[in-house]
Amino acid sequence: MRARRPLVLALALAVLLPGVAPAQEAYPSRPITIVAPFPPGGVADLTARPVAASMEKVLKNPVAVVNKTGAAGAVGMQFVATSKPDGYTLLLALSSISIIPEADRIFDRQPAYTVDQFAPIALISADPTILVVRAESPWKTAREFIEDAKKRPGQISYSSSGIYGTLHMAMELLSHAAGIKLRHVPHAGAGPALTAILGGHVDALASGPAVVLPQIKAGKLRALAGWGDTRVAALPEVPTFKELGHPEAEFYIWAGLFAPRGTPEPVLARLREATRAAVGEPEFKAAMDKLETPIAFKQGDEFQRFFDADAKRLAAGVRKVGRVEEKK
Amino acid sequence: MRTERVSGVALALLAVVVLEECWRSRLPLGTLATPGPAYVPVVLALALLAAGVLVAALGRDAATLAAAGWREWRHVVAIVLTCAFVALALERLGYRITMTLACAFLVGVIERKGVVSTLLLSVGLAAGTYFLFDTLLRVQLPRGPLGL
Amino acid sequence: MLETLGNLGLGFSVALSPSILLYAFLGCLVGTLVGVLPGVGPLAGISLLLPATFGLDATRAIVMLAGIYYGAMYGGSTTSILMRIPGEAASVMTCIDGYAMARQGRGGAALAIAAVGSYVAGTVSVVGLMLLAPPLATFALRFGPPEYVALLLLGLFVLAYMSSGSMLKSLAMAAFGLLLGMVGIDQMSGYFRFAYGVVELGDGLGVVPVAVGLFGVAEILSTAGQGTPPQVVKPRLRELLPSRTEWRESAAPIGRGTVLGFLIGILPGSAHIISSFVSYAVEKRLSRHPERFGHGAVAGVAGPESANNSATSGAMVPMLALGVPSGPIPAVMLAAMMVHGVSPGPLLIQQQPALFWGFVASMYVGNVVLLILNLPLVGLFVNILRVPYPYLYPAILVFSMLGVYAVNGSVVDVWIMLIMGVLGWVLRKLDFETAPVVLGLVLAPMIELSLRQSLAMSDGHYGIFVQRPIAAALLGVALLLVILNLLAFVRRRLDWRARLALAEKGEETS
Repeated sequence: MRARRPLVLALALAVLLPGVAPAQEAYPSRPITIVAPFPPGGVADLTARPVAASMEKVLKNPVAVVNKTGAAGAVGMQFVATSKPDGYTLLLALSSISIIPEADRIFDRQPAYTVDQFAPIALISADPTILVVRAESPWKTAREFIEDAKKRPGQISYSSSGIYGTLHMAMELLSHAAGIKLRHVPHAGAGPALTAILGGHVDALASGPAVVLPQIKAGKLRALAGWGDTRVAALPEVPTFKELGHPEAEFYIWAGLFAPRGTPEPVLARLREATRAAVGEPEFKAAMDKLETPIAFKQGDEFQRFFDADAKRLAAGVRKVGRVEEKK
Repeated sequence: MRTERVSGVALALLAVVVLEECWRSRLPLGTLATPGPAYVPVVLALALLAAGVLVAALGRDAATLAAAGWREWRHVVAIVLTCAFVALALERLGYRITMTLACAFLVGVIERKGVVSTLLLSVGLAAGTYFLFDTLLRVQLPRGPLGL
Repeated sequence: MLETLGNLGLGFSVALSPSILLYAFLGCLVGTLVGVLPGVGPLAGISLLLPATFGLDATRAIVMLAGIYYGAMYGGSTTSILMRIPGEAASVMTCIDGYAMARQGRGGAALAIAAVGSYVAGTVSVVGLMLLAPPLATFALRFGPPEYVALLLLGLFVLAYMSSGSMLKSLAMAAFGLLLGMVGIDQMSGYFRFAYGVVELGDGLGVVPVAVGLFGVAEILSTAGQGTPPQVVKPRLRELLPSRTEWRESAAPIGRGTVLGFLIGILPGSAHIISSFVSYAVEKRLSRHPERFGHGAVAGVAGPESANNSATSGAMVPMLALGVPSGPIPAVMLAAMMVHGVSPGPLLIQQQPALFWGFVASMYVGNVVLLILNLPLVGLFVNILRVPYPYLYPAILVFSMLGVYAVNGSVVDVWIMLIMGVLGWVLRKLDFETAPVVLGLVLAPMIELSLRQSLAMSDGHYGIFVQRPIAAALLGVALLLVILNLLAFVRRRLDWRARLALAEKGEETS
């Protein structure tokens, strides 16, 4: 049914000759939709809404956020990948955008979409994940944790939001970088993963900082180290894995704006300029502050390089994980 | 053709299809200690197979298939086809056109009510629900080629 | 105690301020509407209205969202009782006996009992929330995967009590429903199961399209084509309210449903959907006339409706006490709080007393508002049944398809609803029960995931289930139930034989 859609769209377009706008029509002239491929209340959603509100102000044109959930984001991403590249359907994707097609490939599945079906517009935020353990655990530093893991391979457990998800891949990158083996207990989303560690059912969790910050402040969890290039602003005493000698353990839950490939260059340029202005708006900054998510704006070539490097790293990570079931 | 026999066999067949699909897509079974993705489906399929066989075997005294009463099948087919039409046309023709057509078909053609009441109900329902969802609940319903 | 009363006073002063009252009322109104609309459940309603709350402050936002949540539980019973269409997944059990009551002309009574039961449950459970939130939440966190396996296995026993017909056929339907729950991405290994390339099935068959199809659409398919249109029972005003016997019969189920729903609701996960299923089974087990269940037993409406309302308060417990999203709906509410700069966490109650107590007080107020809204509306809703069926059912179909589509914007859901509708129609013809299918669909993914998680946690050792106290206790209860039932079964067989022997002896001597 999906393959027929472009054909039907083409026919509809052909039929609507009077309605068809000339190519030089001013962009934007219709409401823009930003697709957030995750359920409301999640990171993608919470980032998309201030972005949309800010862009609406800058472009003086309605910008709405639509949630298209399913299959860890694959449904929404596939939807945008196959939609008309006219600049009216955009995607706010997380770093999982690079993971999903790779996971499809190792299962010999037809990928739901491919990364090159998108044209990157801008990076909005890039939260490094941080390693948290319960306050009662014996490990006070990341070094203690890694050493203990080396002594007892496969005994320390951690939860994640699902296999090949962002929280899982972060831990996998660490495991390969530090040469340790941990026990993975996948859960059905970031919320259950957090509940699991708070309840003492697993020992560790790699999480985005915003969600665990209140727990750390209240003394329930302890942050050991971060996966970022620099330390997390809200946790200045927590070192990065890079500082500890594991530079390959670099992982961000980043959020970026994408358009389907084939969107005309002037439209893309307009969108890039709009996002740059939108990110600078004071209301946007205030909104992101409230979410405790620092803005990490990158655009153009800089974003492309970041995206490519990240995609390569993640794809390699996924391939290393391989098919979990066949290792048994 | 007793109802129990038919339903029992159908359930058993479904179980076999599930087992076949597990086999075909090579879902790993895993072990008892580490169940794989196929483990629980296979167990359930075997349970369903057993249940289906039992239902069929113990169904000697059930009513005949015909006695269950299928008189309304024409109506059912009409309704199902209308709903299938809605599913196919919803994102192509847009919400309002699709629903108006579907409702008009059901009320006007199948139930054979008058033209006025058919039109009133169909257009009213389509437009009204669109308004309700679009304005109150802020749900974007698909718009078709004419912006409807 | 005094401190709590003082805090409650603070809360009421916040909650009764006109603007907060307005938003609570708005939330309840939208919630009722959302609940009445088939397919659109509280999660969809809250998600759709989340952006509308961004302009408000934190208290108003969560007061409104909570209003939508429990309001939807009130509204969901309306379509379940009147048209056998579940307004949301938790109202499926109300469809069975509630609709039977409506067919007997007791629709108004059923609606009234549902409304009152929901009110009592909502209010009492807020008391629980208020007084016991932190200790309950800490207890609830101790429910990990092994405890879930034990609990959900107990839930499977519920299936045994749901059948009013042949046990074997119900078990077959349960197995079928459990298999349906296997569709989708396997969270443990990443395999796509039974999805046949349709990406939208990655999260499985939704409970909502299946429930609406299996119950609502199937009902339409059965009734629309009947030669004689269904008897429109036109009740008089006096008959709209429950009789004294009916009130008496509903009192204990409401009480039990409240406690049960609250306890199930505090557990993290989507367990609160099964609160109405469990309540139904408990009521049937404890009833003096279990054969009435399925044909219009008052307890079959009172229990489940109370349970699903108190489960909503229960779901707020971990959210407010610990800042932990215990399910998709609390997750959205937590997000609403975060967006407004309120950082939810274990110190929320201390740091934001106005928010917490204002929220609690607003729930009291909201429940009263909903009772006042719903009781007079009973008369209005029952009159919907007077619309001639040939006009009514296309309207219901439109609403159902719209509701199911609107949740995810996915046509696949509409197809699922349609296919399950046809299936439900066929199953009714062949005399199979459809409620076990829905329960199986809900339970299967949870049981399987919890089981495999438990084994991952214990590195493959099944001993984990008896080493952890809560899990062991629950399994013990399950075992006890199995033994009790076996004993009862054996005793009945022995009884029968003894009676036969006695009769034969009696024949010999005469």
